[in-house]
Amino acid sequence: MSRRPAGIAAIKNKNLAQAKYKDKGTELAETQFAQMGKQMEMFKSNLEDFAAKHRDDIRKDPEFRLQFQEMCASIGVDPLASSKGFWAEMLGVGDFYYELGIQIVEVCMATSKRNGGLIGIEDLRRKVEASRGRNSQPISMDDLLRSIKKLKILGNGFTVHKVGGSYLVQSVPGELTLDHTVVLQQAQENGHVTQSSLIQMLGWEEERAKRSLDFMVKEGLAWVDDQSGIELSYWFPSLIPDFSNSSS
Amino acid sequence: MADFDWPWQYKFPPFFTIQPNIETRKKQLEAWCSLVLGYQRQVKRYNLDVTEAQSSELFYNKQLNRRLSLEAIYIVLDELKRRGNLEWKDKNRKACTLIWRTPAEWGKIIYNWISSKAMNNTVCTLYELSNGEDSEGEEFHGLDKEILVRALRSLEAEGKAEFMDFDGHEGVKFF
Repeated sequence: MSRRPAGIAAIKNKNLAQAKYKDKGTELAETQFAQMGKQMEMFKSNLEDFAAKHRDDIRKDPEFRLQFQEMCASIGVDPLASSKGFWAEMLGVGDFYYELGIQIVEVCMATSKRNGGLIGIEDLRRKVEASRGRNSQPISMDDLLRSIKKLKILGNGFTVHKVGGSYLVQSVPGELTLDHTVVLQQAQENGHVTQSSLIQMLGWEEERAKRSLDFMVKEGLAWVDDQSGIELSYWFPSLIPDFSNSSS
Repeated sequence: MADFDWPWQYKFPPFFTIQPNIETRKKQLEAWCSLVLGYQRQVKRYNLDVTEAQSSELFYNKQLNRRLSLEAIYIVLDELKRRGNLEWKDKNRKACTLIWRTPAEWGKIIYNWISSKAMNNTVCTLYELSNGEDSEGEEFHGLDKEILVRALRSLEAEGKAEFMDFDGHEGVKFF
């Protein structure tokens, strides 16, 4: 069977079909888009409803606040991104974290004389709560960490170190290396370490232990005690809970 | 003494070791100075005997088993002297007077009391002032005589009192 070139009618038919497909495709895309838009609209209004409905819970209950934050994060919404966004208007959460940030700075400054600019997160939490007055809502560790993250915008003044199961917040510039954090971790249990305990527990060389401890003393983070036995022990005020109300 | 509000440092063992880091030591000495003055004020003591002080609870925290060495006590006392809160009583530096309130401040307190009792223009003996029944419960009751004299001298300089001495009996007239 010999092949004939396609006739004009066939080509026309084909073109027509293609155009029709195209039209259908656009139509489909349009409905999909509209549907998506509608879904987004609904999602936003639901989220708003949710936020409005649970506004008080979000402000008052640290646990709930954390869950809300996590939910927002998983869908790519950052309620803290702007203090002018509708979240701030809805909830005042933006303001909440900025306010908290200022209080954190204040507490850190007031206590730096005692602890050399390093404070345990639990201590910080208690002091921030105290400074907010008796009637304000409780603050969680998560709130503090979030606020401190926001403070980073202002420069590298604030650093959070994970030490064991807890955190230490450093409010003075100064590079703490991994070694120093490990020393703090060792000291966490009873507030102090000795050179030989570092050598024994961490398998460090004497030089390494000595250098780390000397650094901590030089930075004002550690105090030396010469009455604890045959060797010096090093104490960290930042690891000892401070229950006093005065900062001096 | 149960009701003295010990600062956190008192329960912090290295507080009893003079710190090698200069910045930390500055904070440490400041804390020691205010602790010593606050303590003396609480127990209403004006003088301090260095030998005795070594074993007093002020410099010796028995619970912690930490004490300030004699050398360290002198560093603290020297700092107090530098701040004008201490005067040595003897050359060997065995005893000192701690000035947790200046003579002028004492003078003011005494003068206010005299005024409130409308005792201006009367003469009192020094003993009456510091140990008399009337002044019981007042802050200056039991005040060290030397400090009392200085307080009155400072009032004299302001023209608010006149010091009198007749046959070894010391008295003061307030205006």
